[in-house]
Amino acid sequence: MEVKVLPRAPVRLLPKRRRARVVASASVALSIALLLLPVCLRLDGKPHADWQQFLGRFHPLAVHIPIGLLVLLPLLELLGRNRPSLREAAEFVLALAFAGCLGSVTLGYLLAYGSGEAGPGVTRHMWGGISLSLCVLLCVLARPAWRVGYVLWAYPALLVCAMLVLIWTADQGGSLTHGSNYLTQYMPPTLKHVLSLGRPNPQPVAGSFYERHINPIFDSNCVACHGQSKVSGNLRLDSYEALMAGGKDGPVIVSGQPEKSILFERITLPPDHKQFMPAEGKPPLKPEEIAWIKAWILQGASPTAANLAGVHVRDDSPEMSLQPVGDYSALMNEIRQMQKGQGAKLVPVSSKPSDGLILNTVDVAASFGDAQLAGFSKFAPYIVEAELGRTALSDASFSTLGTFTHLRALHLEGTAVTGNGIQKLASLSQLTYLNLSNTRMTKAAAAQLDSMKALRHVYLYDTPAQPAPAVDAAQPIARNPQ
Amino acid sequence: MKQHPLCTDTERESGVMGLPIPAGLKREWAALETRRQFLGRSGKVLGWAAAASLLGARGLIGDAHAAGLAPEPSPADLKLPQFAPKAKRAIYLFMSGGPPQMDLLDYKPNLAALYDKDIPDSVRGNQQLTGMTAGQARFPIAPSHWSFQRYGKTGTWVSDLLPYTGRMVDDLTIIKSTNTEAINHEPAIMLMNTGNMNAGKPCLGAWLSYGLGSMNDNLPTFMVLQTKTNPKENNQPVSSRLWSSGFLSSEYAGVGLRSGGDPVLYLSDPDGVDREVRRKMLDAVEQINRQTLAEMGDPETNARIAQYEMAFRMQTSVPELADLSKEPQSTWDLYGPDAKEPGTFAYNCLLARRMAERGVRFTQIYKRGWDVHGDVTGVLPLLAQETDRGCFALVTDLKRRGLLDDTLVIWAGEFGRTVYSQGGLTKDNYGRDHHPRCFTTWMAGGGVRTGITYGETDDYSYNVVRDPVTVRDLNATILHCLGIDHNKLTYKFQGLDQKLTGPVPASVVPGLLA
Repeated sequence: MEVKVLPRAPVRLLPKRRRARVVASASVALSIALLLLPVCLRLDGKPHADWQQFLGRFHPLAVHIPIGLLVLLPLLELLGRNRPSLREAAEFVLALAFAGCLGSVTLGYLLAYGSGEAGPGVTRHMWGGISLSLCVLLCVLARPAWRVGYVLWAYPALLVCAMLVLIWTADQGGSLTHGSNYLTQYMPPTLKHVLSLGRPNPQPVAGSFYERHINPIFDSNCVACHGQSKVSGNLRLDSYEALMAGGKDGPVIVSGQPEKSILFERITLPPDHKQFMPAEGKPPLKPEEIAWIKAWILQGASPTAANLAGVHVRDDSPEMSLQPVGDYSALMNEIRQMQKGQGAKLVPVSSKPSDGLILNTVDVAASFGDAQLAGFSKFAPYIVEAELGRTALSDASFSTLGTFTHLRALHLEGTAVTGNGIQKLASLSQLTYLNLSNTRMTKAAAAQLDSMKALRHVYLYDTPAQPAPAVDAAQPIARNPQ
Repeated sequence: MKQHPLCTDTERESGVMGLPIPAGLKREWAALETRRQFLGRSGKVLGWAAAASLLGARGLIGDAHAAGLAPEPSPADLKLPQFAPKAKRAIYLFMSGGPPQMDLLDYKPNLAALYDKDIPDSVRGNQQLTGMTAGQARFPIAPSHWSFQRYGKTGTWVSDLLPYTGRMVDDLTIIKSTNTEAINHEPAIMLMNTGNMNAGKPCLGAWLSYGLGSMNDNLPTFMVLQTKTNPKENNQPVSSRLWSSGFLSSEYAGVGLRSGGDPVLYLSDPDGVDREVRRKMLDAVEQINRQTLAEMGDPETNARIAQYEMAFRMQTSVPELADLSKEPQSTWDLYGPDAKEPGTFAYNCLLARRMAERGVRFTQIYKRGWDVHGDVTGVLPLLAQETDRGCFALVTDLKRRGLLDDTLVIWAGEFGRTVYSQGGLTKDNYGRDHHPRCFTTWMAGGGVRTGITYGETDDYSYNVVRDPVTVRDLNATILHCLGIDHNKLTYKFQGLDQKLTGPVPASVVPGLLA
């Protein structure tokens, strides 16, 4: 008997026209539901059920599924011109991406609603997500027509739209989690200039205690969640006005009364307390930062006062940004050979090559003279620290050392230098530490160091410039500051 | 326990044969031992025979390399320090015995009013007591016998026992909330030094020399200085367990300098042997050792070869290190007359400064006698007088010579002492028992935020009420100052990635860092 295998007809549960109608009405219903979601369940800035947050926190994870699929889609469509099987796959990917969008929007909404997040950043991200879902839905609807050759412009246009919305929404989301300057923080200044990214935040009175010490604390610890893009608890700490305006529980600063100020209360709770700030395992404020905030509130929380009574801030000039040293991998073989032998060595500061090298001469100090130092000239730009204590170096070496452009610390203690020619070190812009103790440094030479502004730690102990003081072994003086 | 070959500790490990047990038992043990060894070896032989036939000659050679002759994991592979460190070296002033925090730095003015009152049970909680006070019917509060004054710009309260410490409070990071889990000396001191109460783990100094290596090829990376004991004090034993390298190669163990006579025993050449002869002898010994290494593949042989060479170089470097004749008068003005006498705490502090100058990575000074169970008013002034000026001189000397910027100084005991009196309490005298829940330590120098007091204890100096710092956290913080992430300085042993801070989570204390 011969069995005739018929080409299988596609199984349809519903007649074709009716099916299209169902799809259309379902899409419209879904769109309306999505659009109404923020209206029905308004984001009121109050935290809700814990389970919502639990599920919601999977949003940052789940959101990458539709993103990945959507980015893949144009690729499949384009390459599908030559390989039709890819176009087949595209349909499936699109459907999956749409499902992913719906899931992500739901989780995202649970996160925002559950944790009480509100603010323009969150709202923008939310509308971005909803618009993206609608765009993808339209893509789903438009694609079958495009496949069979009708309305050829609609689907590609919608796809481009979806991509643009995707980029914008993702950027909004990234700003929420990482802060709005995450991408631009380490951008080269020239590029920043070209893109003309400025700081829109209003600046309080320049030079005030608030501006110098209080605002920077909030800036580095708080504004990721209490700033322009994410406003947890409806509180912003990125400007003086916003700080004093307070949040959903009212003012957070009661001037003159730190113990009644919610902000102060939150930062001084035990770190494992639910309401402790900074939240979510971020490092607590440092003790002196807390002390400054307390003193500042106590003395009126003023935006203008330049100093506070009883508060001494160690006014360190801001740490100079350390210049990384160049790439010395070509010299690495030589450096390793040196490390194996007995003699002067170059040792990396850390596992990061750009931290530079330390010149270590302690093993051969007695025989390490000017000529030996000159031998290290080819390593000069990579040496950040020169340990030349108790070596046989003389003043003649200052000109060699002047070429160590990245030198940060220079040890010359116990050598015979007198400081003649020390002005040659003035060209070393990175040099902050200079140890000349127990040398023959003269007063005149020491005076030349004053012009080197970068130098912050100069040691002249036991030299003609600073003879060793007799230590007063009598009873110590008790100072009683209060 | 792996001792440094140059270590001069006299304590010996007792084998089974040395135990006071019947001779019959020993014979039985010896028989078992040999039978075990025989069976163990024959098992291996069979295994090797099988492996040889399976793999052929080449495979076997490859295996032999993997099994025995492979080098130890090299410290260079650790890529340390992981980040640019603030401190290059450290000096650890170890106050063995447990200094009483409330008589020195943890000022509790309210206790005076509570003299002879019992400490409330709510404060004491379920704290385990030592056998020395567990039987006491009462726990009467003993306020400190000494008054306190404020010092420095920070206005820190310091006991009248420590006038010199008072002068440098602005350079110190005082931690009042250090706490430990151990209540007796041996486990507590092991925990402080090795991160584990049981012996056998490498100590902080061994980890540092393993991880960071030497800065000076002529001196050991890790040196230990013991202070001469004062018979009037209650001296707890201190042994080379505390500077052992545990499972690390013994070249990373601490080298102890003796407190009197030759700093290192047998270091000077005997009469009639000059340096030339010694060199020849060492070359011959090295050849023999290389043969042993080729035969047995024990990495400890490598350590031994390296140590013979180190000892040869130390023959010149140690006398130079210990020669104080060139120290200027200002040194003696600062350290005081004690520093001229070898073995005193002040002398050791001076040596520690000289070692810091010469690139010794880690120096540990042990001062015993802080175990003041009784006669606090009689003994504590002695201890304070012996150590106070040395600590001050060391920190001040490092500071004026520009070394404090990259040297971390740590002052700590293994635990604190109780606020209540052990034994009788009178107006003039009292005793204090061990107390693990809080004790005061301090640090100074590179990497730590100076001029602060960190953590707080309750009114009885019994419990920590703010910012507790466990021993693990303290060690993690010390490693951090030296550029090491404590979670990444590890060594595979017994199936674990062993580390100084152990398997229990520890964290660097950000509040202590500069």
